[in-house]
Amino acid sequence: MQRQHLAIAVILTLATGCDNVVWEGLELRLQPPISPATVERNRSTVSNIILVDATGLEVTLQEPAQRIISLVPSATQTLRALGVIHTVVGRTDFDIENWVLDIPSVGGGLEPNFEDIIALEPDLVVRFAGDQDPQTKSRLDELEIPQIAVRPDRLTDLYASVRLLGKATGTEPSADSIVASIKNELADLQRWTSEKPKVHTAYILGGSPPWVAGPNSYIDEILALAGGRNVFSDLGFLYGSVSPEQLRVRKIDVVLISDRSQFDPRLTPGSRIEEIGNTLELPGPNIAETARHIARILHDDRVR
Amino acid sequence: MSKTKLATLLFVALIGIGILGVLFGSVPLLISEVWAALTGNGQEAHRDIVVNLRLPRILLAGFVGGGLGVAGATFQALLRNPLAEPYILGVSGGASFGAVLVLSTGLAVTSSWTLPLAAFAGALLAIFLVFRIAISTGGAMDVRILLLSGVVIAAFFSACIAFILSISPARTVQSAILWTMGSLAGADWNRVIIAGAYTMPAAAVLISLARPLNLMAIGEETAYYLGANVEGVKRISLVVAALITAASVSVAGVIGFVGLVVPHTLRILVGSDHRGLLPLSFLGGATFLIGADFVARLVLSPIEIPIGVITAFIGVPFFLVLLRQSTVTE
Amino acid sequence: MRFETTDLVIKYPGQNRPALNSVNMSAPSGSFYAVLGPNGSGKSTLMKGLLGIAKADQGRALIAERNVSNWDRKALARVIGVVSQSETVSFPITVREMVGMGRYPHLGPLEGEGSEDKVAVHEALEVCDVTHLVNRDLSTLSGGELQRVRIARALAQEPMALVLDEPTSSLDIKHAMEILELLKQSVASGLTVILTTHGLDLAARFSDRMLLLSEGQVAAEGTPDEVVNEEALADVYGWPVKVEWEPTTGSPRVTPLRS
Repeated sequence: MQRQHLAIAVILTLATGCDNVVWEGLELRLQPPISPATVERNRSTVSNIILVDATGLEVTLQEPAQRIISLVPSATQTLRALGVIHTVVGRTDFDIENWVLDIPSVGGGLEPNFEDIIALEPDLVVRFAGDQDPQTKSRLDELEIPQIAVRPDRLTDLYASVRLLGKATGTEPSADSIVASIKNELADLQRWTSEKPKVHTAYILGGSPPWVAGPNSYIDEILALAGGRNVFSDLGFLYGSVSPEQLRVRKIDVVLISDRSQFDPRLTPGSRIEEIGNTLELPGPNIAETARHIARILHDDRVR
Repeated sequence: MSKTKLATLLFVALIGIGILGVLFGSVPLLISEVWAALTGNGQEAHRDIVVNLRLPRILLAGFVGGGLGVAGATFQALLRNPLAEPYILGVSGGASFGAVLVLSTGLAVTSSWTLPLAAFAGALLAIFLVFRIAISTGGAMDVRILLLSGVVIAAFFSACIAFILSISPARTVQSAILWTMGSLAGADWNRVIIAGAYTMPAAAVLISLARPLNLMAIGEETAYYLGANVEGVKRISLVVAALITAASVSVAGVIGFVGLVVPHTLRILVGSDHRGLLPLSFLGGATFLIGADFVARLVLSPIEIPIGVITAFIGVPFFLVLLRQSTVTE
Repeated sequence: MRFETTDLVIKYPGQNRPALNSVNMSAPSGSFYAVLGPNGSGKSTLMKGLLGIAKADQGRALIAERNVSNWDRKALARVIGVVSQSETVSFPITVREMVGMGRYPHLGPLEGEGSEDKVAVHEALEVCDVTHLVNRDLSTLSGGELQRVRIARALAQEPMALVLDEPTSSLDIKHAMEILELLKQSVASGLTVILTTHGLDLAARFSDRMLLLSEGQVAAEGTPDEVVNEEALADVYGWPVKVEWEPTTGSPRVTPLRS
């Protein structure tokens, strides 16, 4: 296992000039591909940035953002990977990695505490695209704080949001680098899984009746990348409660659950049940790592 | 409509919907496969589905629906209010509170019994509190105070639940909401046996009190003068009806409308004599809930709709039509 | 059957004076006995005390020589028919079902009506002249009809006595007279009838004996002649009145004078 791991790292290093994609367990620690000094130097030469965000909104920044509040955990991760985590002055309660704890939280991603936001004097706020929280957008407009919306869920959106954040922070070269490395890793993974048989799987979030992930969700995409076939890809909805009968009749090789205490194993006799925490619920630039981890689990090929 | 005619109709409907419920489900099975499964042959997955999933589910729906029907009719008589329903004494609030507490502390799946037991305990707490308040104002139990204290206790538990959820992660909130919407998906033979062992004797007790309940529905003073043991009947029937409700909520969540619409509809059809109304409410409630569960399982298959949604969607228009008819014929 | 009280005292919590203060009265068996008095004089309380619903703080209430508190509630329901002041029925119910409830004291928990029960109900309906209303819902009846139905229910109990609390208060002359004549008929067939009322004139006309209460105490008890006199009435009602006896009907006419 270690050897294979090392081999991939070496190949990638040689292939892309990146010197590190360190996989520490499930958390991606994407290190910035370019040295901090270089990053700062590049940033200082950038000015008059025109951004078009995920909703098509056009935002102009005079210079790269220096005080960013990120209301989207995957954007926080991306900013770290871009080497500009020091510009992030605010994050949400849902950012849970160790390296984020020093940064003050402004509450939830969808209904943040505006007093905290104002107090932090941001020059850019990154929020979720979509209309779950129209209030945030309009209040930021009122306060005349520049805002960009990202849609971090699916792979294509992810590449766009990495590039967008790269542009906003004057770190476009890093952004391109990151996108390239993710693509490479995924291509690699694809080669590995194409040699293996497809594993029938389902991601069950617990509950009675059991709540499962359907097609076209981020989770569905990861499962596919990991060489699995989501047995619930015929569900008409992104997520849904399905009858326990469905769990019995569809052959599921591996059941992925986030929390063993939420799931009754008697619902799926004969399946291998793997607990994976909230790995599949936090989309972000670590998508390739996640996919690889899941692939190993599905194909019963984990680092033990 | 005569009572015997309605009773036969309901009985036939009950058997009918029960059979349909076994034959049809989220997974399409041929009748021959279902039969094979029932007689011990056939594929293991099919046997599992028919015998361990569908059959207990139908029976549980029957017991829960029947229990809620007869409890609803009883509350309507005791509170002399055709709009009373089983959750009126804050039972659903207490049960939900117990469930949410357990869900938020992650104890929910230490065993498959933790959640129902916690819900039942919560329901008992609510009943106890409501009765304490109603009795504290003197020896006799004033049903108006009972109603008011039910409202207050329900509001109290609501607030407690809101508080717990406000400091809980999203997954807990989701589980809590889904639980309160009611579901029979967790049905297994253990629950069926417990639900049956509880509901049937309790319903029998209530039916035996039909005469005094007839009198109570006219008025407590009149009931007293006609020889009813007013206080005794009140206490026994309230406690038994509340406990049936608590048991139902703890195994199936909060399923609304059954306890309101079924007895009220039957009242419009056959009058208020509880000797007929109570058993018919049991039959009617059972049929209704099995039917609603049937729809919940099949309409958007493989997705299941929460059963509380279906009981509302079916119950309300049905009831309105009947109400209209009864006022028109007068 | 005879109803009497001996030094009966009944107090309600939180009130200065007792609702009934050492009341002695006696309604002989088979008599038409009327209880009168201004509002708050204790008429309803006396009814409740006689029926055992309000407990005696001092003294006793006796029915057929037995203390009310020793009577079994169901046994009492088999011999006394009570028509209380008002009932609100929130459910659909027919006249037949309502009157049928009068048979409950005679039936077991799940026992159905037998032939004798049906006969009793039929007779009660006839006597009260409501047979033509049997299948009507209670909510469609007029005040007078409703009252007759309630009396029919009480008669269906085949009681030995009827106790009524203000049976004619909301009725017009025609209906009030119908009720009173009905009650007189019942007395003629052997029942004891006790009622409370405000209508002095009619009460005096129909009763055999009367009781006049004032502030929880007995102001007068006796035959109508004895009770309905100008001094007693003025005293109790706090207003001067003139009493004239009608020769044709034998009933008094009580006219309030100018103060």
